[in-house]
Amino acid sequence: MTPEGLYDILQRYAASQGFELNADREFTLDILTGLIRNEGRYGYRSCPCRLASGVRDQDEDIICPCFYAKPDITDYGSCYCSLYVTKDWNSEKTPHVVVPERRSAK
Amino acid sequence: MKQQVTLYTLSTCPTCKRVKRFLEERNVGFTQIEVDLLEGGEQWLASKEVKRHNPAGTYPTLVVEDVIVGFDEQRLKDALRLP
Repeated sequence: MTPEGLYDILQRYAASQGFELNADREFTLDILTGLIRNEGRYGYRSCPCRLASGVRDQDEDIICPCFYAKPDITDYGSCYCSLYVTKDWNSEKTPHVVVPERRSAK
Repeated sequence: MKQQVTLYTLSTCPTCKRVKRFLEERNVGFTQIEVDLLEGGEQWLASKEVKRHNPAGTYPTLVVEDVIVGFDEQRLKDALRLP
């Protein structure tokens, strides 16, 4: 799987959920490169912006799209990683803020 | 005395790269620790250090440490952001 190939798949997934992918394509492809790397080393696509344990049961909540993505998109227009965003976030109607971590520190 | 700047990152995290580029473009000297690339015990120690500064344990975490020796009023004011 290439980042570009994953981009096409996730773009369709995002549209099906009413989201978009971050319009900064270079940034987004970098996130997807991280997802693919995590899939290679852990066996699942854990969030590239969080430190995974490498134990699937412990990382279940941060497998992308993470458990926190929807509430973060609702509250901030963007998931923690800024991969999935709203249309308003992409057009900068929604201000871009650092999304606080909802996950409890492990 | 020089500031000690340490950037804790994940190799997979684009925002970490943005902070790194920000520092590089401004010629700020820093030590980068790519926590996800460390093995077992080293990774545990590094993530513990991140949580000491940032209990949420999120990345990137930039730690800027300033050591002030003796009574240097201006440096004390600057570091403590006093008028």
